[in-house]
Amino acid sequence: MMLILQVFIMTLVGTVLSCVLACLPGLHVYNLMGLIVMFIYWLAARGIELSPESYLPFMVGMVVGWSILNTIPSILLGAPDESAIFTVLPGQKYLMFGRGYEGTMITGVGSLAGVFLLVFIIGPLAPKYLPVIKKILSPYMAFIIWVIITYILMSEWPKGGNTGPAGWAKFRDAWKSLGAGLFTFFLSGIMGFILMYRSPVSTEVAFQNIMPAFVGLFAVPWCLLNIISGADVPKQYISKSMEIDGAVVLRSTAAGGLGGGFAAFFPVITGGIGGLLAGHATAQRDERVFIMSQGVSKVMYYTGAFLFFFVPGLGLTRGGGAWIIKGLYTPRSFYEYYMMLGAVAIAGAVSFLMMSPLTRWVIKLMERYNYRYVSIGALAIIVVLVFLVVGGVGLFIMIVGAGIGLIPVLFASRRLNCLGILLLPIACNMSGFGHIIAGWLGLL
Amino acid sequence: MKGISHFISGVAAASFFPFAVHEAANGNPLYFVLGGAFGILPDTLDFKFYRFFYKHDIYIEPDPLRPDPQKIADQLAEAVAKAAEQDEMVKVKLSTIRLGADYWQQYVVRFDPDTQEVLVRFGPVVNTGQVPVPNSEQEENNVGRAKLAMPIVQTYDATTRVDIFDGPTFGFEKDEQGEIVLHFLPWHREWSHSFTMGALCAVLGGLIWGWGALFVIMAGYSVHVIEDQLGFMGSNLFFPFTKKRSQGVHIMRSGDALPNFTTVWVSCLLIFWNLYRFTPDLPYSFSFFHVALYGAIIPMGLYAIALHILSRRDDEEEVEIDMADEWGDSKMS
Repeated sequence: MMLILQVFIMTLVGTVLSCVLACLPGLHVYNLMGLIVMFIYWLAARGIELSPESYLPFMVGMVVGWSILNTIPSILLGAPDESAIFTVLPGQKYLMFGRGYEGTMITGVGSLAGVFLLVFIIGPLAPKYLPVIKKILSPYMAFIIWVIITYILMSEWPKGGNTGPAGWAKFRDAWKSLGAGLFTFFLSGIMGFILMYRSPVSTEVAFQNIMPAFVGLFAVPWCLLNIISGADVPKQYISKSMEIDGAVVLRSTAAGGLGGGFAAFFPVITGGIGGLLAGHATAQRDERVFIMSQGVSKVMYYTGAFLFFFVPGLGLTRGGGAWIIKGLYTPRSFYEYYMMLGAVAIAGAVSFLMMSPLTRWVIKLMERYNYRYVSIGALAIIVVLVFLVVGGVGLFIMIVGAGIGLIPVLFASRRLNCLGILLLPIACNMSGFGHIIAGWLGLL
Repeated sequence: MKGISHFISGVAAASFFPFAVHEAANGNPLYFVLGGAFGILPDTLDFKFYRFFYKHDIYIEPDPLRPDPQKIADQLAEAVAKAAEQDEMVKVKLSTIRLGADYWQQYVVRFDPDTQEVLVRFGPVVNTGQVPVPNSEQEENNVGRAKLAMPIVQTYDATTRVDIFDGPTFGFEKDEQGEIVLHFLPWHREWSHSFTMGALCAVLGGLIWGWGALFVIMAGYSVHVIEDQLGFMGSNLFFPFTKKRSQGVHIMRSGDALPNFTTVWVSCLLIFWNLYRFTPDLPYSFSFFHVALYGAIIPMGLYAIALHILSRRDDEEEVEIDMADEWGDSKMS
């Protein structure tokens, strides 16, 4: 009984902490988890051993809480992490119509549906089927990543060239955004090679290597855009109904579950790619279904990847959270797995309950201060966090990342092209010629 | 179908070749990438290249400061009258009406064969996500109507919605019966969506990447052409030997959620099955029936039942052609 209480309390503490911290733009849960693991090692060196029943539910609470609540800075402050990149555009449209609260809560409902899918459907089936799927697909991971890269690069739609007579001028206008997208992908890919082969980040914080780049690529450009455009955010209404029904939730869960689940299972495939696949594969026309499916996808990606680490007989380490915990703990039995499933259920419920008050709080903050100042504040928090976690060199990486991340913003191309930073070097390495490219770039 | 459906179908087609699977296991993704790339290529050729060079006879570009539905209707009627006087097709380009950085005036064009009229109705102002701006629909002077010089024959849906990014093209062509046949997007699914073009690509690919690529490219390209026959537009199957687009079998629209999702899901299952059967020394043994049962029939059946129970049975409205459906990803930028 005491053990159950301990698990419950630690889940609760982790969830509440991460829910509050998720409202801070730019702060990623993996940064916090890395610091917590360092703290656990520090305690162990002083003879204080924490039991897995203490820190595992705490970690689960953090992952679940953050994956649900990070919708708030994405939609209301326009400062997304990579996995939430597709919620920003429709989310900001909700915001500009005074429906930011509604947009956030719809995504939250999606997240809760994602928790339900994980706990009650995927969770019980995973130990039986996922090891078989993994065994069959393991030799083919490289081609899967290359196929996804090909799709990302080929599936972008020209946004210009809509008026005027036929000819090269029209073609050039159309290809501005497509060219910028391709340029962004390869530029961020080169940045990924540099960070992988010659990272300027010191070895003490090597696990935070990619964090400043991601913040620069995805969060900073949005903040800058909000500051420069100085958009006036209209009064936000706290709606009592979200105009969603069971069918909308079901369609969103199927779409987001597919995309997020795919991202959670395959290496390097991130939540953003999962969101892209979810949106495309299910041909969503309904804005509510789209935005809700992104909530499902985010939870499936972060929580699913973390949970798969504990699936007995699977031996799968996906996502930063699982890699961080791997050095600390090796899962052994169904006992831990079901403990984690229970913790996910508790954390999901608590996070959803915290969504409404925290959203209202951020909206009040936005009403009190000019949106431009709120964006400046968000950017300041991001800069301070990067400096605290990685140091001055982190700021340099962030600025370079922001330069690349601004290209798709300025040319209206797809921001997901920034994921070249991960996809390109890792796909090259998996196919066995990453070192050759690194040699060409003078990195060896 | 949408891009992802064609793409994943091409990848699935590649997975049927044992050499492609064998190479993929050794870290060489070439054949699967070719399958996907050539699976999506016919639309890439049309939407990213050809349409920008396609010359139209009439460009209808409404003034965003004074958009007038009657003027659009009149210009369409003039185009039909012009087609009645000549033997060649009259190609008309309808432009979108951009009102601001993120705002577009939506309008719907409808050719009515019964009354022999064209109707243009202005809808709400929408943003790039196609979400209407509240209270933006004008209540007066929002409909334009013009009489057509000859009876018109529809080969596609009756109404076309024009809102974001690029507008549609109509081709008006007089037939032997003295009627005007309306072709929707005459530049689309022509030469690019033919088996002959697929064969040409396959031969070129074969010369570059070897004989294996030839088969994979032909398979990926052909799957796209075949899938497009399920819709309303068909394609010109054996260009240049055939001159006109075939009639599709009319069982789906390109943007429909269910057929697209089903195609993606079935393709994934086929890829999984082929990887399984071409991988040696696996400790598991199961049949395709098991894959279909556990991977498709049970989950999709349960999903269909749940969706049926949860859906409110609204009366179905007439579906308009949405220009952003086939390829667009307005929410994804």
